[in-house]
Amino acid sequence: MKSSRASLSSILQPVFSLRRPAFCSAAPPKPQTPLHLRPPAFRAALSDLQRWQAWAKTQASSVGSTFSALDGGPDSSLLLRELNWLVEDAVEHPALLSTENKVTAEVAIRAQLEEMYELWRQRIEERRPFQYVVGCEHWRDLILSVEEGVLIPRPETETIVDLVDHAVKADEELREGLWADLGTGSGALGIAVARILGGGGRVLAVDLSPVAAAVARYNVERYCLEARVSVRVGSWFDPLKDVEGELNGVVSNPPYIPSKNIHSLQAEVSRHEPILALDGGADGMDDLIHLCHGAASMLKPRGFFAFETNGEIQSKLVLDYIQNEMEGSFCRLEIVSDFAGIQRFVTGYKA
Amino acid sequence: MWSLIQKRVCRKIQLHSSIIRSCLLNSVSEHQFYYSSSPACNHTAPRSAIGAKKFNGLFSSFDAKWRGSSFMRFLSSQAAAEASTSDGLTVGGIIANNWVIYDENESDWKSHAAAIAQSIHLIKKRLRWKKLISKLEVLSKELDKPDLWDGPSHAGKISREHGSVVGKMKEVNAFEQELFEHIDMIKLAREENDAELESESLNALLVLRRHLKEKELEALLAGEHDLCPCFIEVQAGAGGTESMDWASMVMQMYKRWAENRHFRVSAVEEIPGELAGIKRATIKVDGDYAYGYAKAEVGAHRLVRISPFDSNKRRHTSFASVAVIPILGDDFSHVQINESDLRIERYRSGGPGGQHANTTDSAVRITHIPTGVTASSQNERSQHQNKASAMAVLQSRLDQLEIVRQAQINAEHTQSLTDINFGSQIRSYVLHPYRMVKDHRTEYEVSDPDSVLQGDVDGFILSFLSASLDKDIEDD
Repeated sequence: MKSSRASLSSILQPVFSLRRPAFCSAAPPKPQTPLHLRPPAFRAALSDLQRWQAWAKTQASSVGSTFSALDGGPDSSLLLRELNWLVEDAVEHPALLSTENKVTAEVAIRAQLEEMYELWRQRIEERRPFQYVVGCEHWRDLILSVEEGVLIPRPETETIVDLVDHAVKADEELREGLWADLGTGSGALGIAVARILGGGGRVLAVDLSPVAAAVARYNVERYCLEARVSVRVGSWFDPLKDVEGELNGVVSNPPYIPSKNIHSLQAEVSRHEPILALDGGADGMDDLIHLCHGAASMLKPRGFFAFETNGEIQSKLVLDYIQNEMEGSFCRLEIVSDFAGIQRFVTGYKA
Repeated sequence: MWSLIQKRVCRKIQLHSSIIRSCLLNSVSEHQFYYSSSPACNHTAPRSAIGAKKFNGLFSSFDAKWRGSSFMRFLSSQAAAEASTSDGLTVGGIIANNWVIYDENESDWKSHAAAIAQSIHLIKKRLRWKKLISKLEVLSKELDKPDLWDGPSHAGKISREHGSVVGKMKEVNAFEQELFEHIDMIKLAREENDAELESESLNALLVLRRHLKEKELEALLAGEHDLCPCFIEVQAGAGGTESMDWASMVMQMYKRWAENRHFRVSAVEEIPGELAGIKRATIKVDGDYAYGYAKAEVGAHRLVRISPFDSNKRRHTSFASVAVIPILGDDFSHVQINESDLRIERYRSGGPGGQHANTTDSAVRITHIPTGVTASSQNERSQHQNKASAMAVLQSRLDQLEIVRQAQINAEHTQSLTDINFGSQIRSYVLHPYRMVKDHRTEYEVSDPDSVLQGDVDGFILSFLSASLDKDIEDD
């Protein structure tokens, strides 16, 4: 199963990088169930599970600060915290693990013990992102299913939802009507924005990758938002031709990393996450520029947009571009920083 | 237990028509009996508590009327008075008799009665009975004002407070009454030579004695916010790895303590030391009276031992300071926090972030700029939740500052637990050259540091709470 997915993505990747809509004749891929949602169908002796935990702790501790010195990866203390979360997701009653003296007790787990060893080995040795290991990412107040082929939503991106919240509170008319999340990935922004808008709003969540679209649909269903979030497959605004000029808002976390930086990324990212969602072309601006033009034609007057960027330099470039090359298209432009103080988002309103 | 006695009483009543007569006469004055011992009442008729209680049903319609509007006022004016046995023995009287209190196993009713009287006395003292009575009067007057409900939130507060005061007083009064019922019963049994009834009553007295011993402890936790959950924060003192290790031992001690008490414990923040231990950590402790107990631990905790981190095996003294912050409920008017007064940062920044990094670390630190108070959270799985959790800590910190500020303004406030300086040394844990844990405030000590470090802290907490509260009352 896993190998077929790997080969699928390797076949699709060249297609994606040419930025043409992927044509996929096969049935849509079936999303994986996150570990914490699987039934606790397996049993292990408490002592065996404790032995696994002790082994995993040793593995985590032996990492020290090697990864963080190498490429900014996780250090031991973070890995140990992740290990606790893995236990939380995999074990039906995690508290049992910290009990002593019940040597004979059995514990219900959601994966075979052998798989637990394999999962943690992948985390440490292959630097497989923790979120792929457990099949989910806690993002804002959501728990989103993620898997290989889908970008893991970043904490920074949570801020876009707050920006939308402010925008609709300042202009309640924006709340009622259509919004778009472009390059939705796991569906994170689309789902969170729909929850902010409330019953009167609808979100069109777009992604080029059929794997991402399938995962986004699964997440939409998990939050019972089928009526308010529609997932469409295609490149950026292509699948939205029918609603041109009708959008109240556009949000996106597009690929924005300059191509030359891709190979030096943290191993979790460069080895495991979809390059489609990361590589923004020579200066990382290709998709952002495309989005700015798209937003200008797709938004209603006074419609709102918020885009994530690579940081200070790119935010300024995007702002300059809009002001100079697209004069008169947008107003009330702003650069907003993330919680690390990095100028991360560009927002504005259609004139 | 009551049904048993009730059965016995019914049999007795068949035998003693004279008692029935007195019961019928006196059930009318039941509430006076409960709450008053005015001399006039005492002399009009010999009263029987047992009869009064048992015949309650017969007079229920009358009772209902009695319980109407006049009841609260009646309670407030009469609560100061003491109940007594049929021959006029009161709690004060029992204490004045100086009956010897033997071990619980001794079947001596006087010993039980004396222990119970002492407990009642202590509970009343801890509840500040006299203040409670005057508070009740003030609240009752307030409740009687016709325009009270013009301000519903004020009215709600007054009525809740009133209810709580009445509840406390009724409970203690009921204990007194039960005590005298049992004593009367024992006397009756002796008159009748009914050994079975006597032993039943004696047993009931013992049950009451034990129950009141527990209540004594509960009365220690009568503080306004004692019932709340709380945050416990441990910070390593100066001294590098040794004191960071000590701080993590202290944190571990409280985690175990809380778990033993069946409180829910969750980690909010933990800043590990470079080599071992923690620089600082915060846990949330949720359960009834978590704050009431934990507040006794505020201060500096001192460790003396041969440091495992010293290659020369020298003896080291290190400190860890403990802060306890109540998490106040919705009925408390929280300090208003303006979003614009906050600076929210990722705790561990660095690197370009965004798509460059895949990290599960979404720790957040919030600074309240006007006060400089900060709070952080790192143990949640999303930034949003870390922010919410840090905000909760920040809110509690600011609320606590406000409580202290109010208390300083409030002239009534003398010395209380909130005044304790976080830096003042409250307890020493000595592992070398001898082994002992000693509380400097109460002189309470234990010769087995391991058990204390395993979470057995209750002895220290309770001895401190009773010592400080009882001292407080004497200061009044």
